[in-house]
Amino acid sequence: MGKPSAYAKLPRPALRLTEKFGLPAPPKLSVIVPFYNEEDSIGPMHAAIVAALDPLGIAYEMVFVDDGSRDATAQRTEEIARRDPRVRFVKFRRNYGQTAAMAAGIEYATGEILVTMDGDLQNDPADIELFLDKMAEGYDIVVGWRHKRQDKLVSRKIPSKIANWLIGKVTGVQITDNGCSLKAFRGSLIKRIPLYSEMHRFIPAIASIAGPRIAEIKVRHHARQFGSSKYGLSRIYKVLLDLMVIKTVASFTSRPLLWFALLCWPLMIIGSVALIGGLFAAQPGDAGMSLPLTGTGIIFLGASVMLLASGTLGELIYRLGDVRPEDFARLTMKSNASHKVPK
Amino acid sequence: MTHAHSLSLVSVIVPVGERKSPIGALYAEYKAALSTLGIPYELIFVLDGPPQPAVEGVLAQLAAHGEPITIVSLARYFGEATALMIGFEHAMGSVILTLPAYLQVEGGEIGKLLAALGEADLAVGYREPRESSWFQSLRQLAYHGLLRFVTRLSFRDLGCNARAFNRKVLEEVHLYGDQQRFLPLLAERQGFRVKQVALRQSKGDRHAETYRPRTYTRGLIDIFTVFFLVRFTKKPLRFFGMIGVAMGALGLLEMLYLIVDRIFFHAPLADRPAILLASLLIVLGVQVFALGLLGELIIFTHAAEHKDYKVDRVIQYAGAGGERAAPGGGLRSGEKSDVVSSSLSG
Repeated sequence: MGKPSAYAKLPRPALRLTEKFGLPAPPKLSVIVPFYNEEDSIGPMHAAIVAALDPLGIAYEMVFVDDGSRDATAQRTEEIARRDPRVRFVKFRRNYGQTAAMAAGIEYATGEILVTMDGDLQNDPADIELFLDKMAEGYDIVVGWRHKRQDKLVSRKIPSKIANWLIGKVTGVQITDNGCSLKAFRGSLIKRIPLYSEMHRFIPAIASIAGPRIAEIKVRHHARQFGSSKYGLSRIYKVLLDLMVIKTVASFTSRPLLWFALLCWPLMIIGSVALIGGLFAAQPGDAGMSLPLTGTGIIFLGASVMLLASGTLGELIYRLGDVRPEDFARLTMKSNASHKVPK
Repeated sequence: MTHAHSLSLVSVIVPVGERKSPIGALYAEYKAALSTLGIPYELIFVLDGPPQPAVEGVLAQLAAHGEPITIVSLARYFGEATALMIGFEHAMGSVILTLPAYLQVEGGEIGKLLAALGEADLAVGYREPRESSWFQSLRQLAYHGLLRFVTRLSFRDLGCNARAFNRKVLEEVHLYGDQQRFLPLLAERQGFRVKQVALRQSKGDRHAETYRPRTYTRGLIDIFTVFFLVRFTKKPLRFFGMIGVAMGALGLLEMLYLIVDRIFFHAPLADRPAILLASLLIVLGVQVFALGLLGELIIFTHAAEHKDYKVDRVIQYAGAGGERAAPGGGLRSGEKSDVVSSSLSG
């Protein structure tokens, strides 16, 4: 119904690629693997993916993203791309981090279903088949769960348990293992989800704006064979702030002003109580009211006005931006009407 | 790349602002230096600020005599970075050279900059050896130290405007106001290779410059802007959140202390402003945090246009063992715009 939103243009660089260079029609499946200093892993990884997917008899492609490696990763990937036309190799100018690499992989993938995985051989490409089966059941996002995780307990497993619990609580998307890179997405959905900063851990949470059907499956997890781990423990506050952001933007997709209004309630209550208390404390014939109380009241009330003003500014930003709730609704809706998706 | 430009041409951009040498002599010096290099060149003078009829007259006369000069005059003062971007719009060369409007380095040194471009995308000059008063040196040291501390990138002389670029650097790094001095910094952030080149200081540059307080203020604000752009563009909440939480926590602690003090120890509140300070801190904390959230909202709603990353190239070979490569056969293609450049363009 109604005319399509002017902002509903889907960004489709991948489709442009296929048109421009006359590549074959988009395949069913794209496997996206970011690499950062993984010169020893890249060869075995490619072989494992091919070995796992060839027997399935579906059309697939691999998108390898080199995140500015300083070792021979780029050269080896290019050699592989030369041998295997199903490999699309995206090379970054410098190191931008895993989220950016994932985002680039998603952008340059053309498949109907996108599977992301780590380049360090800890995920097993043989599991992809399970993801495809699950997607075929009608899910929009399928998330892996490393149920026998091969990592150090104290430095990796326990912080991640806490983080996962927190993410579930705050975003309302209960996922046992957000940190598992092995995930499958419906391409049309994930391409519309803004991915930036260090958000790759929270893709399902962000995607929850669109209300996707999310499933979890257990996957194998291998101990690291080559290279070294690139993550540390020192991320708690970053995760907390990122969570805050996701919660906010996800709530914002309906009403920014409302969100700020909620934030402003406590200030308003404290302010009013203090102000009224200050006024009542003044005795008849007494020259001065309670200065600290009235002052506090005025400050808090003033602040709540400022917050409401910020919320209004938020509405404005949101109106001018290009993230529209209807777009997200359109991504996951099911309808029996034959429906034209705006180009 | 949008311009049809010649591969060997060097475009020299000279932003002419407040500080300038007599333009005829300046041109003669630059011309002499460029001619000895034996490469084709053009000069673009961008006159920034209130009308400079004298300068424009001299340049127009030179141009009338067949000198390769383009004159662009801006209607008011826009800042050197804007002048540079405007000049770049008129540049046809594949290599861009910027030179100051006063003799900062010796003309003969220009060749060194162009030579350094062979292994870098951007060659930045620094004056060495540098002759200046102790106050200037101190100022210089403090400025660059602060900048290094704030951005974690090290440059020796950002005040030196003799620089050479590959064209694509200026196509991707957008500047405004007085940010041209930070161009090497921003370019390095975007993954360009930056090289610093020692240049001999010109005699004309050796008089002590006195800055007004306003200049210092502007300098500090510039450093803050660059600090924010380099470190927090994509995560405003990390920045505002940190400050907001710190202030709010401080205020809450003080408030708690005051409440305990009042209720259990009967310390009077009325005759001191402590509670006002506490509530101000809390309120400020909440507001700064809210500003961070607004920043995040701006990023989120525009994330689709401003990519976080720069793709060097996309390689895919079509057909089994075939040599037909797509896209671009391993050549540069599918370049993305980076958020830093986009947000800088305002």
